[in-house]
Amino acid sequence: MTADHVSKWYGQVIGLNDVTVNVPPGITGLLGPNGAGKSTFMKLITGQLKPSKGTVTVLGEPIWGNPKLFFRIGFCPEQDSFYERMTGMEWVTALVRLNGFSDAEARAAAERALTTVDLMDAAKKRIGAYSKGMRQRVKLAQALVHDPEVLILDEPLTGMDPIGRRKTMRMIRDWAKQGKSILVSSHILHEIELMTTNILLINNGRILAEGNVHQIRDLIDTHPHTVYIRAENPRGLAREFLTRADVISMRFEPGAVVVETGKPDEFYARLTELVAEGSCGSVSEVTSPDDNLQAVFKYLVKS
Amino acid sequence: MTDKRTAHTSPGFLYAAMRVFDLSIGEMLWSRRTVFMGLVVGLPVFAAFVIRIITELSATPVTMNNSQVAGPVIFGLMMWAFFVRFSVPVLGVFYGTSLIADEVEDKTITYLFTRPIPRGAILLGKYFAYLVCTIFVVLPAVTVVWLLIVPIGGSLAPSFPDLLKDLGLLALGLAVYGALFAFVGATFKRPLLAGLVFVLGWEPIAVALPGYLRRVSVAYYLQGLVPHAMPSNSPLSLIQDLFREVPSLTSSLFWLATITVVFLWLAARKVSNREYVLEQ
Repeated sequence: MTADHVSKWYGQVIGLNDVTVNVPPGITGLLGPNGAGKSTFMKLITGQLKPSKGTVTVLGEPIWGNPKLFFRIGFCPEQDSFYERMTGMEWVTALVRLNGFSDAEARAAAERALTTVDLMDAAKKRIGAYSKGMRQRVKLAQALVHDPEVLILDEPLTGMDPIGRRKTMRMIRDWAKQGKSILVSSHILHEIELMTTNILLINNGRILAEGNVHQIRDLIDTHPHTVYIRAENPRGLAREFLTRADVISMRFEPGAVVVETGKPDEFYARLTELVAEGSCGSVSEVTSPDDNLQAVFKYLVKS
Repeated sequence: MTDKRTAHTSPGFLYAAMRVFDLSIGEMLWSRRTVFMGLVVGLPVFAAFVIRIITELSATPVTMNNSQVAGPVIFGLMMWAFFVRFSVPVLGVFYGTSLIADEVEDKTITYLFTRPIPRGAILLGKYFAYLVCTIFVVLPAVTVVWLLIVPIGGSLAPSFPDLLKDLGLLALGLAVYGALFAFVGATFKRPLLAGLVFVLGWEPIAVALPGYLRRVSVAYYLQGLVPHAMPSNSPLSLIQDLFREVPSLTSSLFWLATITVVFLWLAARKVSNREYVLEQ
């Protein structure tokens, strides 16, 4: 995937500013705060938008106006939008039929994809009745159902519970091992770091840095990481976190606890253990605002 | 894995359109618009039911401008006033302008645009879905109206051929208006407003005006296909008859087919070249 001096304007607003980048094979993390230009970049690289300036090529061909490339590309968009009345199986089957699969092939491919994302049990349920995590997984299923060479995943972990996140990250790593090239966007460094060391840092429509994640990791660690956890028993979780040295502060919101931690890796590992143990009830949502990342971006821009 | 990938080639344009049709028809049938469509076509059915009840209870013939009118004439009037001039264009506007707009608004268009099919096929598939969806609601409604109204002072058998012509006319009307407003929907920012102004503002004026302006309307060509004779003994209708110019059947069919094909092609072209920026 290559962008050559690509700019994108939305009227007077600039979405991407003279970006030149070559995304190598393997997993690449596209990291940036909300509004940084990640989604614009994703839409350009998937041919949904036409560059105002420059060229975008995928697998050696220009992507805009070239739908045939989507035999080889799978895209998982950020937006939580579906044909809510369809079941997961119907939806994934209907979409892969657009790739030229026969009915029988499409059904078999959809079953494989839904099994891969661990959603076969709910395949006959309406998507409208899916939890946030299941909705994310069915989106992943439609992206990989035709066995593409390139997977482009826009914030695929948003709203998943810790176990779901861990499973999905493992899946993404497995797909890379199978030889797929994967571009995955996130505003959470920690998530990206668990999947790859190769990152693109984007902010204000510009690529700020590209390369090894460890170089910016040290910067990140100097800023606290905020985690929002919606749970059945937020006070029980808070009690568990109180004893931890890495937890800097905590506050409660309705049905949730918001934690500031200095060591996100350790914190997420402990949170996953707690959810697996089930001692503090179920956790329905884990999100991380990008305050710390934003701080690092400010630092990078200043320096 | 590689074998599986290379085994699938690009589906043809029409084949892809039919796959999009399969995907869209259910969603379209169960959308909020179907409730609106039910109201639009339910109104004449309700009116027919009321007329039938009144005539049955009062046992007096229906009169119009002091002359007695039979069921087939009332049916002809209802066809023209309710269906040809209102339901069909209004449904064309509401569905045609939303073929792509609904997917954009619901942010589901991404799933279609990131499949290996031409964007034009997506529009065509959704157009077919619109056509089937509206035809399967409008035509049965017309048949119910026919069953209720025609027996008032008339009989069903002789007017059956006219019913078939009417059904064909409505199906064609839905096809033409759908294609026209698919283009409007793909092109303009406020397509619904533009469409309503066209069908409820421009068309009634254009059709009533003498001269060539009436040819810039779909209703003018549909008029050439109406099988019913309209009652024309009021002063107003006599004046209108002086200017009345109905195109021939061949001319009507030719122009309606041309409008459909040209506007569908333009709409497909527009959708292929346009960027759709989804709200975050």
